[in-house]
Amino acid sequence: MPKMLTVENLSISFRTSEGVITPVHDVTFGVEAGRTLGLVGESGSGKSISTKALMQLLPGNASLSGETRMTYTDKAGKEIALGRLKTGSKELRRIRGGEIGMIFQEPMASFSPVYTIGNQMMEAIMLHRGLKKRAAREYAIEMLNKVGISNASARVDQYPHELSGGMRQRAMIALTLSAGPALLIADEPTTALDVTIQAQVLDLMRDLQRDLGMGMIFITHDLGVIAQIADDVAVMYLGTIVERGPARDVIRNPQHPYTQGLLDAIPSVEHLHDRLKPVPGDIPSPTARPTGCPFHTRCAQAIAGTCDVTAPTEVSTIPGRAVRCWLHSDKDRNAA
Amino acid sequence: MTDATHQTDTTAEEARLKYYSASQWTLIWWRFRRHRAAMMAASVLGLMFLAGIFAEFVAPYGPVTRDTNYIEGAPQVPRFCDAGGCSVFPFVNGTKTERDPVTLRAISVPDPEVRHYLHVFVKGEPVKLLGLIPTDRHLVGLNPDVDQKIHFWGTDDLGRDVFSRTIYATRTSLSIGVIGVMISFVLALIIGGIAGYFAGVIDNIIQRVTEVIRVVPIIPLYMGLAAAMPKEWSTTQVYFAMTLILGLFGWPTLARRIRSQLLSIRNEDYVIAARLAGARPGRIIAQHMLPSFTSFIIVDLVISFPYMILSETALSFVGLGLRPPSVSWGVLLQQAQSVRAIEQTPWLFIPAIFVVVAVLAFTVIGDGLRDAADPYSEAH
Amino acid sequence: MLRFTLERLVGMVITMLLVSVMVFLIMELPPGDYADRYAFRKYSGTGVNVTEADIEAIRRDLGLDKPMLLRYFDWIGGIVLRGDFGQAFAFETSVAKVIGDKVWLTAGILFSTLLLTYIVSIPIGIFAAVRRGSAVDYGLTVFSYLGLALPNFLLALVMLYFANRWFGADIGGLFSDQYRDASWSVGKVWDLIKHLWLPAVVLAWSAVAIQIQTVRATMSDELNKLSVTAARARGVPELRLLIKYPTRLAINPVVSTIGFDVNRIFSELPIVAVVLGLTELGELLLRAYLDLDMNVAGAILLMLTFTIVFMNFVSDLLLAWLDPRIKLGA
Ligand SMILES: Nc1ncnc2c1ncn2[C@@H]1O[C@H](COP(=O)(O)OP(=O)(O)OP(=O)(O)O)[C@@H](O)[C@H]1O
Ligand code: SF4
Ligand SMILES: [Mg+2]
Repeated sequence: MPKMLTVENLSISFRTSEGVITPVHDVTFGVEAGRTLGLVGESGSGKSISTKALMQLLPGNASLSGETRMTYTDKAGKEIALGRLKTGSKELRRIRGGEIGMIFQEPMASFSPVYTIGNQMMEAIMLHRGLKKRAAREYAIEMLNKVGISNASARVDQYPHELSGGMRQRAMIALTLSAGPALLIADEPTTALDVTIQAQVLDLMRDLQRDLGMGMIFITHDLGVIAQIADDVAVMYLGTIVERGPARDVIRNPQHPYTQGLLDAIPSVEHLHDRLKPVPGDIPSPTARPTGCPFHTRCAQAIAGTCDVTAPTEVSTIPGRAVRCWLHSDKDRNAA
Repeated sequence: MTDATHQTDTTAEEARLKYYSASQWTLIWWRFRRHRAAMMAASVLGLMFLAGIFAEFVAPYGPVTRDTNYIEGAPQVPRFCDAGGCSVFPFVNGTKTERDPVTLRAISVPDPEVRHYLHVFVKGEPVKLLGLIPTDRHLVGLNPDVDQKIHFWGTDDLGRDVFSRTIYATRTSLSIGVIGVMISFVLALIIGGIAGYFAGVIDNIIQRVTEVIRVVPIIPLYMGLAAAMPKEWSTTQVYFAMTLILGLFGWPTLARRIRSQLLSIRNEDYVIAARLAGARPGRIIAQHMLPSFTSFIIVDLVISFPYMILSETALSFVGLGLRPPSVSWGVLLQQAQSVRAIEQTPWLFIPAIFVVVAVLAFTVIGDGLRDAADPYSEAH
Repeated sequence: MLRFTLERLVGMVITMLLVSVMVFLIMELPPGDYADRYAFRKYSGTGVNVTEADIEAIRRDLGLDKPMLLRYFDWIGGIVLRGDFGQAFAFETSVAKVIGDKVWLTAGILFSTLLLTYIVSIPIGIFAAVRRGSAVDYGLTVFSYLGLALPNFLLALVMLYFANRWFGADIGGLFSDQYRDASWSVGKVWDLIKHLWLPAVVLAWSAVAIQIQTVRATMSDELNKLSVTAARARGVPELRLLIKYPTRLAINPVVSTIGFDVNRIFSELPIVAVVLGLTELGELLLRAYLDLDMNVAGAILLMLTFTIVFMNFVSDLLLAWLDPRIKLGA
C-alpha cells in the first residue's frame, strides 16, 4: 500500500516563560491509504500536537525544527509538503477539512455554541464541496442520517447544547466527513463519552473509515481501543515514538518496556474498556526531560550507566517493526 | 561532585524549603515585590500619604495664608544659576512690581538683582503638627527675615500658595478616601455577609436593594445627598457628611463579592462543622469563612479607592462637595474650571496631577495585588 | 423567548418601583419642605412679611401636609397617569415645561456616546487580543489606565482648550449662537450634530478604556477555544472565522454591560456639562440640586435611572438573542 502521509524527524518546540521546551522530539511515522494508524501514549506525550502540526494548527509560540519533513499525497495524487504551505493560502485551506479532517476529544467544545449544527455543517460543505445553500443543507441531513442520528431534518436546526454527548460526537463526525477528507485524524474521540456510547462511536468510525476508504490516525491512551480499531500502532512516550509496527503484532508481542507497561495496565480482554491503571512511576515534567532513554526514570529493566546516559536509536529486529530500547540493540550499546 | 556545586545545591534546597513553608501572606508579598510598576506606585502613594499626614510641616504656608505681593503669580522654580553666575545652593530670585506695558496692570516680575536662598527646617508660621504638636518649623522655605515668600507652584487669585494648598488638599482627599472605603467595607461586610450566609429569601431581598442602588447613576445620587446638607453646616460637619455619603453607597460591588464567595463555601465541611458546633453566624463568618478570601477583599478595597477619590473631586468641583475654606483636590480644581484658566494660570491644574497619579497608583497597586494573590489569574 | 421577555419585564417594573421610592426619599431629604423654600424664594428681599400661616396655606394647597406615603402616591401617580412631574419653583412653571426638549438633547448625547464607545472599543479590543503582547497591545493597556485615572472634567477642559485652538472659538455647548434659541429645523439638527462629537468623545473616553480591556480579555479566551481550532481545521478563512466564531461571543460582555455604560455616562454628564456648557438634563439636574428645586431634580433623577433600567432590559434581550444558551438557563 502506498503511504498517503509520511512524517519524518518531526520536532516541536514551544517558547514559554520558563524557556524553550521541546515536547516532541524527532518523530517519524506514516499512514497508508485506507488503513488506520493508532497513536497511543500517556497524557502529555505529544500526540495531539504532533497531529496538529500537520495542519499548522499549533499556537503562535510553537516552531518546527528544520529537519522536519511532512509529505501528504492528496486525492489527485499530488505530493504536498505540509510544512511549506503558506499561512492563509488557499492550498492550506483546501487541505484543512477537504483533504485532512480532524475530530477532537470534546464534542461540546468543538462546536460553537451559538450556531446550529446545520449552520456549521453547511459552512464546511459549501467551502469544500462547492454546493449552494439548499443543496448543502440536504447534504448535511444526509450525513447526519449516515452517522445514525435519527430525525436528522429536525436535528440539523438544533444547537449543540440540545444534543446528548454521544449525539454531539456523531454530529461532529458527520461534520468532519461532510467536507470529504481522505485522511481523518481522530484525537481521542471517545474519551469524553459514556462507556456504552464509546463502543458505538468506535464501531461507527471503523465502519465509516472502511466504507469511505479513508486513511485514519486514531489517538488514544488505551491500547485496548487500538486493538479494536487500528491496523498499525505507534507508541509515544515523552515526545518520541518508542515502538511501532502492525497493531496485532505489537500487542501480542510488545518489545519496549513502556509498551509492556501499557499492556499490563489493561486488566483483561473482557475488561478492555475499564479505566486504565497507570504505568507505575511519575511522568517527568516537560521542562526536565531525562537524559539518555526518556523512559529510564520509570523502567524496571533499565541498564545503569547506559540507559540514563545515552539515548537508544530506533532499530528493527523484526521486519515491519521498530523499537527504541537498549535491550534490543546490543551492538549499538557497545559502540556507544 | 565538587564542594562548590554541593554548596549551591544546599542553598537552593534551603530556598525551596523556605518557599514551601512560607505563609500565604509572605508568598503574596514576594510576588508583589516582583511587580515593578506596583512597587513604584506604592512608593509614590506612600510619599503622598506622608505629605498629607505631615502637611503642616511639609507645606511652607497655611492653606489660606495670602501673599498680596504675589497674586496669580507663576511657579518659582528654585535654580542654581542666573545672570549673576552659579551657586552650590538653590535659590530663587526676588520679585519686583512693574506695570504690564499692554494692559497697564501691576504684575510681579523676577528681579535678577536679588537672590533668596532656600533653607530647610526654617522658622515660619506656628502650626500644630497632626493638630497636636506645636511647632514653627517647616520643611523648606526662605529665610524668615526676608520679606518674601516662596511659591514653588505659584499662587491663586487671592495670592494663596498652590503648593501648600495642594499638600493640605492631599490630606483631605486621601483621608476622605480612606474613611469612605472603611465605611463601605463595614457595610459590605455586614450586608454581603448576611446575604451570603443566610441565602434564600433574605439574600433575595438584599439583592433587590443592591440592584436598585447599583442602577442609580452614582454621581447624581451623591449630588442629591450632598445637596441636602444644610448650608449652615461647618466645614468639619460637611467633611464628615461627605465621607459618610461616599461610604454609604460604595458597598454594592464589594458586598456582591463577599456574598458570592460566602455562598460558594457555605456548604463546605468546615463551615457546617462550625455551625453544628453551635457557633454564632457572625463568628462563623469572621473566623471560618472570611479568611479564605481575605486577599480578594483587600484587592477590591484597594481598587475602590479611585472611585471615592474621583467622586469627591467631581462633587467638590461642581460645588456640591466640600466648600471653601476647606481644601481638597476638587475644591482647588474649582478655580480651574475654564479654558481661560488653562491659558493664564495653568499651575492651578497641578492638583489634577495629584488626582491622576493617586488614582493610577491605586489601580496599579490593585492589579499588582490581584496578580500576587492569585498567580493563576491572567494579568489582564 | 416570550416567557423570558415577560420575566425580565416584570423584573424591570419592580426595579423601577423601588427606584422611584429611593428617588422620592432623596427629594424629601433636604431640610424644610417645598412650601418653605417656595415662600423663601418668592418673598425674600421683597419686604413682604411671610408668616407661618402663609406657608401652611401653601402647604395645604399643594397637599404637602399629607403623610409621606400619600405624598409618594400622589407624586408617582401624577407621573404615571398624567405625565405630571409637579411644579418647578425656580422657574414658576411645571417641571415638564422646564425639562422640555432637554430630554431629546440628552438622548442625543447618550446615543452618540454609546455608538462612539462601541464603534471604537470593539474593533480595537479584538485587534489587541489577536496581536497580544505587541507594542499596540501595551500602548492600549497604558491608555486604559489613563482612561480610568483622568477625571472627565479635566479631559473636557483639555479637549475644549485644543478644540478652541484648532477649530476656532464656537465649539462648547450644543448649538452655535445663531441656532441656540431658534426653533427646530434641519439646519439646527445639523448644527447639533456638529457640536455633539466633543461631549461624545469626553463621555466615551473612560467607557472605551474599560470596554477595550473587556473585549480583549474575552476575545483572548475565545480565541483559545477548541471550537475556533476546530473551525480552522475545517478550512474556514481566517477573517471570516474571526468574525463568526470568537467575535460573536466576545461582544457578549459588552452587550451585558450596556446598562453600566449608560449609568457611567449619566454619572459623568452633570460634571462634563458644566465644563462644556451643555444644556441638557445633567446640567439642569445640577442646577436644580444647587437651588434645592427637588421636584425638578427628582424628575430628572427618575428619568435617568429609568433609562438605565430600561437599557438593562434591552441588554438582557439582546444577550438572549446573541447567545441561544441563555434562554434555556434563564
Ligand atoms: N501551547 C503550548 N505551550 C507550551 N507547551 C505546550 C503547549 N501545548 C502543548 N505543550 C506541551 O506539549 C506537551 C504535549 O502536549 P499534547 O497536547 O500533544 O499531549 P497529548 O499527548 O495529546 O496528551 P493528552 O493525552 O493529555 O491529550 C504537553 O505536555 C506540553 O508540555
Ligand atoms: S532503553 Fe533502557 S531505560 Fe529505556 S526502555 Fe529500554 S531498558 Fe528501559
Ligand atoms: Mg491530546
